[in-house]
Amino acid sequence: MTSQEILNVVKLLLEYLVPTLKVFGFTLLFSVPLGMVVALLKMCKFKPISYLTNIYILIMRGTPLMLQVIVAFYAVPMLKNGEGTPQFIVNLLNNIDIKDENYMFNAVLVAFVLNYAAYFAEIFRGGIESIPKGQYEAAAALSMTRTQTFFKIILPQVVKRVVPASANEVITLVKDTSLANVVAYAEITLKAKQQMQLYSSLVPLFIAGAFYFVLATVLTIVFSYVEKKLDYYK
Amino acid sequence: MKKSIFKRVICAALAGVMMLGAFGCSEKEESSSSSEVDSLQKVLDSGKFILGLDATFVPMGYTDENDEIVGFDIDVAEEVCKRMGVELVKQPINWDTKEEDLEAGRIDCIWNGMSVNAERAERMNLSEPYMNNKMVFVVPADSTAQSMADLEGCVIGVQNGSTAQTILAESDIASTITESASATNDEALMQMESGLVDAVFLDVIVADYKIVTGGKDYRVLSDGLAEEEYAIGFRKEDQELRDEVQKILGEMKADGTLAEISTKWFGSDITTVK
Repeated sequence: MTSQEILNVVKLLLEYLVPTLKVFGFTLLFSVPLGMVVALLKMCKFKPISYLTNIYILIMRGTPLMLQVIVAFYAVPMLKNGEGTPQFIVNLLNNIDIKDENYMFNAVLVAFVLNYAAYFAEIFRGGIESIPKGQYEAAAALSMTRTQTFFKIILPQVVKRVVPASANEVITLVKDTSLANVVAYAEITLKAKQQMQLYSSLVPLFIAGAFYFVLATVLTIVFSYVEKKLDYYK
Repeated sequence: MKKSIFKRVICAALAGVMMLGAFGCSEKEESSSSSEVDSLQKVLDSGKFILGLDATFVPMGYTDENDEIVGFDIDVAEEVCKRMGVELVKQPINWDTKEEDLEAGRIDCIWNGMSVNAERAERMNLSEPYMNNKMVFVVPADSTAQSMADLEGCVIGVQNGSTAQTILAESDIASTITESASATNDEALMQMESGLVDAVFLDVIVADYKIVTGGKDYRVLSDGLAEEEYAIGFRKEDQELRDEVQKILGEMKADGTLAEISTKWFGSDITTVK
């Protein structure tokens, strides 16, 4: 490929950086809070809830994200056209227009958020459970309520403990956004693959790789800064 | 004070989660596909004909430098839509799930150099074939191989999941060669250029286009395998729509428009529409 062609591909992929970052940003925005909720549900003393949460996490971590994206995407039309589907579900699904331009993004987002929430939940749970029991007892001795103990004593320590593991997930998420191309969501990997066919060259894929690399590098720097800022309780 | 801030955060988080659940549910009324409604009338009413394609099949339907979807099939479809008085919408899909997209109603047809085979004829309402295709072996111009017989013991590249792969596996020479499957024809050709495979087995349409327009230094072996045909795939129940497109294709063949488009892409009229 000539340098002019490479420049062309870079420009084109830059345009499609937006949809990639959209999946990345919205997934983080929703999956982190959802992950906290799931972590608390999993630690719930009422066993059935804890079991159900376990099953959810098992499915989300036990099947490929690529497959989950496909399921999220085709679930609506398949249920709608399926014969055994109860009428009220069909009525509900009839409100969803699968030809709407946002439908694809929403379906992809649902899969990503549900998947990443499961991973974040386990990270957060690990963080909460890593705090020694003695601290709860000490707080109780100081006559702090359970809520006070959690937010004033436990949470600040949990936050700093879960950052390295979360950073791992976030960086993985940047690269996982490429899986959205399995339903032909127009992001940089899909575009790189199309350009690859056009030029009969692997170079567009390498350019896409460079994009992910830069994004991951930026995130690495951001997280090392965050870790430094959270360097309290030493 | 701290507590109330946290409560607000939790509330916002829950609201976010709920919003996510409700996201897709706020869209407008659907127009579900029921077989009683005339499929042609539906397309005319909506003013849109949604063509599903892989957008990586050069020269039938692919994405160009400016991110526009172009190709032989696209030019023909544009003309068909013009005559139907509707707008052509080019919807990229994943080739592996094209039947699902069609049945789900995301697209009205699959029109992307799709080879006819029994499974596809079973699942879709296919148009009459509009072009013939042959599967051929391509070798580097300086290769010693002159015919299929010379390929004994060679490594042959082929696109994974393609009809070419099936044909090659069922052919007589299958036992004497080693198959090397790539994700795309282009990857297979690149492997040939770097000497990883000795020959590539692919559509003659693609091979000719690569050599004539792409200027690649390849040679096509004279004896190919299995002839096959390209057709357009519609939903099983969309008979009216299929017939209308078929009728317009016939008219375009008669008035020379089809020959014109074919000449633009392939140098001559190679369409087989009657």
